[in-house]
Amino acid sequence: MRTIIRAEHLVKNYGEFAAVKDISFEIREGECFGFLGPNGAGKTTTVRMIHCVSPITSGTILVNGLPADVDNRKIKAATGVIPQEMTLDTDLTVFENMMVFSKFFDIPRREARKRTDELIAFVELEAKRDNKISELSTGMKRRLLVARALLNKPALIIADEPTTGLDPQARHLIWQRLRLLKNQGTTLILTTQYMEEAQQLCDRLVVMYEGKILKEGSPRQLIDDEIGREVVEIRIEAAEDARLIADLGPLARGHERAGDTLFFYCRDGRAIQKKLVEMDLPNTVYRPATLEDVFLKLTGRSLVE
Amino acid sequence: MNLSRRAFLVFYRNLVSYKRFVLPTLVGSLVQPVFYLVTFGIGMGAYMGAFGGRGYLFFLVPGVLVSSVMMSSTFECLYGAFVKMIHEKLYDSLIATPVSAEDAVAGDILWGAFRGLISGGLMMIVAFFMGVFPVSFPAGLLLCVLMVLIGIMFGSLAMIVTSYAPNFDFFNYYTELVITPMLFFSGVFFPLDNFPAWMKTLAQFLPLTHAVEVSRAVYSGVYGKGLLLNLGFVLALTLLAARFGLGRMKKRLIK
Repeated sequence: MRTIIRAEHLVKNYGEFAAVKDISFEIREGECFGFLGPNGAGKTTTVRMIHCVSPITSGTILVNGLPADVDNRKIKAATGVIPQEMTLDTDLTVFENMMVFSKFFDIPRREARKRTDELIAFVELEAKRDNKISELSTGMKRRLLVARALLNKPALIIADEPTTGLDPQARHLIWQRLRLLKNQGTTLILTTQYMEEAQQLCDRLVVMYEGKILKEGSPRQLIDDEIGREVVEIRIEAAEDARLIADLGPLARGHERAGDTLFFYCRDGRAIQKKLVEMDLPNTVYRPATLEDVFLKLTGRSLVE
Repeated sequence: MNLSRRAFLVFYRNLVSYKRFVLPTLVGSLVQPVFYLVTFGIGMGAYMGAFGGRGYLFFLVPGVLVSSVMMSSTFECLYGAFVKMIHEKLYDSLIATPVSAEDAVAGDILWGAFRGLISGGLMMIVAFFMGVFPVSFPAGLLLCVLMVLIGIMFGSLAMIVTSYAPNFDFFNYYTELVITPMLFFSGVFFPLDNFPAWMKTLAQFLPLTHAVEVSRAVYSGVYGKGLLLNLGFVLALTLLAARFGLGRMKKRLIK
């Protein structure tokens, strides 16, 4: 697959504060690439530099061979952005929002009208076509942001935490639409702090933390490499750790204590499960490993402020 | 500077949204100037005798007219722009399209100037019915062009203030310490002739002074030799303020 975005030694400083610290990555055409990380990890800053609304301190980003800098209208014309913030035009109706926005992309009026109707249907907002933005729910607004980002038929879509604050129905609808777009060949860049979202959508992702990339890979591969297949959680006092680790440690790939819980990571949990039954411990959970485990292992299980 | 015709698209966006506010804003921009005209012009004018051979209203109207242009464009580029920047995040969505930060801000300055033109135009109509009008029809049209220019000047100055503003309250410094005093020291309500020399000098540095002079010349048809200087001041300050305002706002919008 062709590389559509190449970032090399990307650095972003806000005054003294280093938001992005020398990261490099490549995004291929047609894939969904995720930036996963807690608040303040530098995800949004990174994608803002990709779509040319934030000056790069040092390093380079090439988008389709063009350097991403703030005066590059070509990249912006070919990119659709689903922003994290509700940046809809609150003075206008749903329909007007779409029509006015299409002007900024020089879409002729008739074509704009056609695309607006199609896209409003695509995100199931037909009933709200002539309503003002203030009359929409959060989920509807988010759907309209998705529709608006598609007006210019972008080859690249950047979705910056597209489902933050949404109820499950709205979230699933957004996921379905994003998957549909990916299946149509659109390259998708997603930032998220939801592991489930990353697991649902991303072909490949990077885990970001404090401005750096900690790991890169497919969700499956990351889980496999970092955790294994299964996780055993035992809620027990730390005083018991030594005994438990002596007993269970050899059966697991690794272990970690976080707060009131002791975690064992394993490839094949059957042996450990059998042992657990023998030990007859209360408060144990045995479950498949998820991206969340990878994330917490990499970024630490303690609270990130 | 990355300015393009797309500034007009941003202007168009404002026009589309304006249709919901037309009435309240028309009333808003009309009431205060009319109030000045009636109280000062008719009430006080009765005691003032003739000003250069004509009634006080002939003196007052051109001044109040450009003051209302100043007020409208200033408020649009202070409060209007601030709401779009901070509360509605409108600029963020604009600059994610081929619209540049300069386009977005310039579109709003033009919009402020247009709002100024509407206020000034309304004043012209009201004054017309009070018997005060420009010396000729072409002069009236010329004044409309000048109102746009003056609107761009005050809009750009306001944009500079907005680019530094941490919150709404910050605007009070500008409106109370700059705009309001300017209203009284620029020869809008009375001639500057009887002021002490230092005040007359100060007045020469106030943009409204020059705008008032230009407007008064168009109304009276008396084009004095100072007029070129007045026009030059307005033009130079407009270019300077627009350039600086756009640059400052770009810094604020694109971080």
